[in-house]
Amino acid sequence: MLLELVRRDVKSRYRGSVLGVGWTLLNPLIFMLVYSLVFGKFLKVHYPGGSATVFILSGLLAWTFFSQALIMATGSIVANATLVRKVAFPWMLLSVSSVIAALVNFAISLLLLIPFMLLSHKGVGIPVLAAPVLVAITFALSLGLGLMLAAGNVYLRDLSYLVNLGTLIWFYATPVIYPFTLVSSKFSGHGLEGEAAHAVIYANPMTWVVLGFQDVFVFDRWPQHWHGLGYSAVFSLLSIWLGLRVFRRLRRRFAEEV
Amino acid sequence: MPEAVVEINDVSKRFRIYHERNTTLKQSLVARRRGRFEEFWAVRDVSVEIPEGESLGIIGENGSGKSTLLKCVAGILVQDKGTISVRGRLASLLEVGAGFHPDFTGRENVYLNGAILGLPRKYIKSIMDTIVEFAELEQFIDNPVKTYSSGMYTRLGFAIAVNLDPDILVVDEVLAVGDEAFQRRCMERINIMRSEGRTLVFVSHALGSVRAVCDRCIWMDHGVARKIGGVDAVVDAYLAEVNRREEAELDVGEASDVDTSPGRMGVRITAVDLLGADGPAVVLNTGEPLTVSIEYEAPVPLRGARFSVTFLRGDGAPILTVPTDDLETADAALPRQGVVRLSLPGVPFLEGFYRVTVDITEIASGQHYKRLERVRPFRVHSAEHRETGMAVLGHSWELPQVGTGAIRR
Repeated sequence: MLLELVRRDVKSRYRGSVLGVGWTLLNPLIFMLVYSLVFGKFLKVHYPGGSATVFILSGLLAWTFFSQALIMATGSIVANATLVRKVAFPWMLLSVSSVIAALVNFAISLLLLIPFMLLSHKGVGIPVLAAPVLVAITFALSLGLGLMLAAGNVYLRDLSYLVNLGTLIWFYATPVIYPFTLVSSKFSGHGLEGEAAHAVIYANPMTWVVLGFQDVFVFDRWPQHWHGLGYSAVFSLLSIWLGLRVFRRLRRRFAEEV
Repeated sequence: MPEAVVEINDVSKRFRIYHERNTTLKQSLVARRRGRFEEFWAVRDVSVEIPEGESLGIIGENGSGKSTLLKCVAGILVQDKGTISVRGRLASLLEVGAGFHPDFTGRENVYLNGAILGLPRKYIKSIMDTIVEFAELEQFIDNPVKTYSSGMYTRLGFAIAVNLDPDILVVDEVLAVGDEAFQRRCMERINIMRSEGRTLVFVSHALGSVRAVCDRCIWMDHGVARKIGGVDAVVDAYLAEVNRREEAELDVGEASDVDTSPGRMGVRITAVDLLGADGPAVVLNTGEPLTVSIEYEAPVPLRGARFSVTFLRGDGAPILTVPTDDLETADAALPRQGVVRLSLPGVPFLEGFYRVTVDITEIASGQHYKRLERVRPFRVHSAEHRETGMAVLGHSWELPQVGTGAIRR
């Protein structure tokens, strides 16, 4: 059943568009070009590892996976209102399948990395084996939060707007388009504001995941921030636990409220 | 007696009716609570056991809690009180084609819908041809369902559902769709499932189908199980109640006095009454006698007058006009005051809402003395009639000699 739902979620995304799967590639590609132009060329941000494109892309793809999974999951129950009102089946699968669909898109979009890595003479070695762990953490995090938001969204439709806005802000609190080193060095000693920004970025579980991706694809090394990743992993597991609890509790009235 | 496969114990379900519903964050924050709401018990303390192989019908007016009860059994809604236990594989069909994706082809939707209803892909693949054939969609199965007509959509949805192969099938009013031939095949299919010993829970407004399919029946009335028992007894009791209520409504409502003001040459119609076999008739069944009685008054004896009664359908379309015989009335002088009656030995009209238009006309000029349009609404029921359309005609069928062996389908 889950397989069919994922199939539907993935397929329906591309039905009726000329480019189809191309959009999965084109979207991050364009953003990556814009960011590297604005930040790399105009603002002269120095990206470690030599290549602004690969640096931005590796973080951006991970982030896109996360945000897409979260947004799709949030709407997953409400978008299937007719189904929820009329058919009894484990509705949670709707949310799970939307996160998996985002994962599929992410896997496809990884192809984008190949040409840019070749262009900048980069390769990946053994450390790429760490990538599945990073993906798993992202998956768990977006699923856990997604379940809570999907269930909450049935009762309070504002949540979907808030999630859209929230991910936009969250993006800037994640070192995707700026290097983490810039933050860790610059903000120290910048008073209260600097401390606050610092704290937010450190507390952000996605920070450590994105850093891990950059380690693997930009520097061809094992993720360096093990403590951070451990924190992210615990955070994700907690969010899954809480997500399941919230979902189970709220689903009793889904069919009436959706 | 076989064991109960569905046990419903004192089940109650409460809904919230929101007055000002806070679905936006701002309102929630301001109001602190999720809006003011009233509680409303859609189902109250219903208990029933369904033994294996039984077909149970649920009837009642709109809003009586039938579907709510069914949804609780299907597990879509969770009851607020009581328990429901189900033994065996239960499949529910509350809406045909729920969850179809418009952009997907019929075939893709069969896989998707089948999966949602709990069938593995392999199994669906093996019965795909049966489904397509049952739905009569051989040519269109690979077109997106958004190009389907509503009939095609329904047929496909139902074709999937009847192939679900459940122990217990829960069906809500899905037979009301589709054309006559398809409905009949669905009924046939349901009968096959019954003969295989499957359990059926069936909600419908089509009392004929309920009688045909169900062994027992629950009559839901404002959330309460008003009567549970053999299907005929319950359906009869329900029909009697519906007729009583309607009668009361029509009596107070529109059937008030007619316009008795004088028309041309001071001719007045003082009363129009519908009479059944025993007194005034407001609700009657097809085939029952009906008399339309017209009381008139005129300043002088009426000469050369024609009376006529027109029966109109609820939407105002005339069905039948019955005039008096001109030869009889042309030269006659009717008294200044009297009663004219038109009697039908049996009302030929089928299920529906009707009215009459009554007039008195001067034959020579063709002008009305007085005309009363669309008065005396009445209701006809034809639950026992298999004919469809507007009216029944006396008829008989002749069939070729039927063999005595089993009838092959």
